[in-house]
Amino acid sequence: MSDELAVEPAVKGTGLAALRDLRRTRQLHRLGNLDWFDAAYRVYLFGGVGGGLVLWISSSIKDELVSDSVAADVLHHGPTVLGLFVAIAFMAGIRGGAQGGPIALEAADVAHVMLAPVDRRRALLRPAGQRLRSAMFSGALAGAVVGQLAGRRLPGSVLAWFASGALFGANLAALWVGAAVLAHVLRVPRWAATLVGLLVVAVQSLAVAYDFPGPANPAGSLALWGWRVRPVDLVAVAVTLAALVTGCALLRRISLDALARRSALVAQLRFAVTMQDLRTVILLRRQLNQEQARRRPFVRVPTAGSGLGLTSSTWRRGWHGLLRFPVPRLVRMAAIAAGMGVLQGMVVRGTTPAFLGTAILGFVLGLEVMEPLSQEVDQADRADALPVERGELMARHLLAPAVALVPFGFIAAIAAWATLGTASDALVPALILGVPTVLGAACGGVVSIVRDMPDPSSSVTQQTFMPPEMVGFTTFLRLAWPIVVSLLTTATILLPRSALQFGDSTVGAAVRGSIGALLVVVLVYQWVRLRDRLRRKIKAFMEEGRNYTAQQRSSA
Amino acid sequence: MTAALSTHGLMKDYGDRPALEALDLVVPEGEHVALVGHNGSGKTTLLRMAAGLLDPSGGEARIMGHRSGSLEARRSLSWLSDTPTFYDDLSLWEHLEYVGRLHGVSSWQAKAEELLTRLNLADRRDDIPTTFSRGLRQKAAIALGMVRPFDVLLVDEPFVGLDSNGKDTLLELLDEAARAGATLLVATHELAFVARVGRLLALRDGALVYDGPPADGDVHALVLPS
Repeated sequence: MSDELAVEPAVKGTGLAALRDLRRTRQLHRLGNLDWFDAAYRVYLFGGVGGGLVLWISSSIKDELVSDSVAADVLHHGPTVLGLFVAIAFMAGIRGGAQGGPIALEAADVAHVMLAPVDRRRALLRPAGQRLRSAMFSGALAGAVVGQLAGRRLPGSVLAWFASGALFGANLAALWVGAAVLAHVLRVPRWAATLVGLLVVAVQSLAVAYDFPGPANPAGSLALWGWRVRPVDLVAVAVTLAALVTGCALLRRISLDALARRSALVAQLRFAVTMQDLRTVILLRRQLNQEQARRRPFVRVPTAGSGLGLTSSTWRRGWHGLLRFPVPRLVRMAAIAAGMGVLQGMVVRGTTPAFLGTAILGFVLGLEVMEPLSQEVDQADRADALPVERGELMARHLLAPAVALVPFGFIAAIAAWATLGTASDALVPALILGVPTVLGAACGGVVSIVRDMPDPSSSVTQQTFMPPEMVGFTTFLRLAWPIVVSLLTTATILLPRSALQFGDSTVGAAVRGSIGALLVVVLVYQWVRLRDRLRRKIKAFMEEGRNYTAQQRSSA
Repeated sequence: MTAALSTHGLMKDYGDRPALEALDLVVPEGEHVALVGHNGSGKTTLLRMAAGLLDPSGGEARIMGHRSGSLEARRSLSWLSDTPTFYDDLSLWEHLEYVGRLHGVSSWQAKAEELLTRLNLADRRDDIPTTFSRGLRQKAAIALGMVRPFDVLLVDEPFVGLDSNGKDTLLELLDEAARAGATLLVATHELAFVARVGRLLALRDGALVYDGPPADGDVHALVLPS
């Protein structure tokens, strides 16, 4: 070869063999680098916690069969109500596809494979298949768990319900992926995807309300195959397959722009999931959906007084952040609040495990609304450089979001009232409990955010030398503690339920419940404010003790 | 003669903010072009759309007569990004093998050896490039961009992070590619580089404000924001 680099003419060839070889090489590298013990331990931990949760929920559900009238109700309305979940999954899929989902590649794959002269459809089939496989597995698992729970109270064997639940879940997940791929490759504009999705959900909701067969009924009916089999329901599976096959056939039309944008975010998302960092997961999901803050707030908050005080500055900063929330985010928060209300209503009606769902929704709502606090935690260096106590600063950041949560508390109250029947006397207790329980449940989000702050006084070595069982326990605590805080407040909904059962005043019980929930709010506020100071004091106390022991030993 | 790169009404906007106004451009085969402009002027946007990495809001770009992003365009085009990306479980040598083979180059080894030697990366060939410093990553990206055949080379800020030795080598490689008949379009803030090219394009706030010989334009004035 000469000194000069000759530019070779372009060579024809697909390069697919190279792609196959490389994937094999990388798989071997990954298997070689895998920490098998760590992986096995994670599976063990997940199995233990997940299995325990399923057992707890199972034990909360009575074992005797429901009455004939309830069974007939389930058979009649089940396909339509479950079809609503399918319609929502379809809407989520089509919107996700219009926003560039559901396939995610590594940034290097976008740069090297997608820009190489290889058949993009064939190169993308594998990541698309992986996406489908993982979604279907999760869907089937969740469906199977719910199916076996239903099988304990409905006619049919538990095993058949387990299988039909899995079929329903897998089909729902596959439809979600298929709709997303199809919307992506057809380059459906976002507004059109939202419109079509909303239309399907609206028609199915009307079907639920006015008792007529909706478009997603066959898909919903699959879940009841544990009881009775209707071959016509297979049309839902056929539609899902058609969406998947068409989407995969058109994969070469996929947008590289979207793939490039998602690649970096998805890598961070996977890392956040590995670290059980739910807050980052939610933040990255918002970025994946291209949910950006408005350029200008809906309204500008005037500066109060001199405007230089800590409370005044954080109040204004907080509102300017909150008033930049895009409309879809506000709608999502309203939907979460409404979901909380519905579940609270279900708790009062006797479905005790629903209060776990209320707590989780409240926790997520807390993560959504505490954006000013999250931003401050993410910019820890900036906060530490301010001439104010960090705890005082963080506590002030809770004020604006707390006020912003009030309307969502009322939404939850109205939803709970609607769930219990608008003719009931539940409106006043629901209104009394709505805001305090939403505020209290959101405190779980606050705990999760503040706990993630860097702590200069913590000792890394303490964790390093922990035995695996202890690390597992602390990992579980790390995940569960914020949810426990949310649970403490949402558990107050049990008071009016108990009052209802024993014929006591539900208003009085609601007042007592709201006081309990507000007490948790005050405690969390004080924890945020004094956390650093307390930790410093404890550390100083421990050091003093160690020094004293050392002195005693040396003198002895 | 087929245009190596052509754009017709190519534009990009992000909501109400135009990143690149409608651009009609023809770069004949073998031309050596520098693209300058202030930060945010639209240089990277133009290059990414030409490479097929960014969906235009309007118009189209063609590489060697083929729609950008198409199989034929990808066969002809090599793209050197300002933010190189690598697999975090492959060595540099494995990267070169992979990219070479993806582009159907059977004799990639000799070319890869030569590139690594000239870029002072020979002793790092078995290392993982994601662990490299900024400058070494840039050199690795140059090797990857040049180990494969190309008719058109799009380069975005190639000199960032390179030491003087690396800059000299890159200039040599670009000159050799140009002599071999490749079309080069290089976006850069290194105004000294502009003297080496035959044509200068300047963008300001997303609009083409200069298209001509470098000698006729006041480069320093052209890169100032409005």
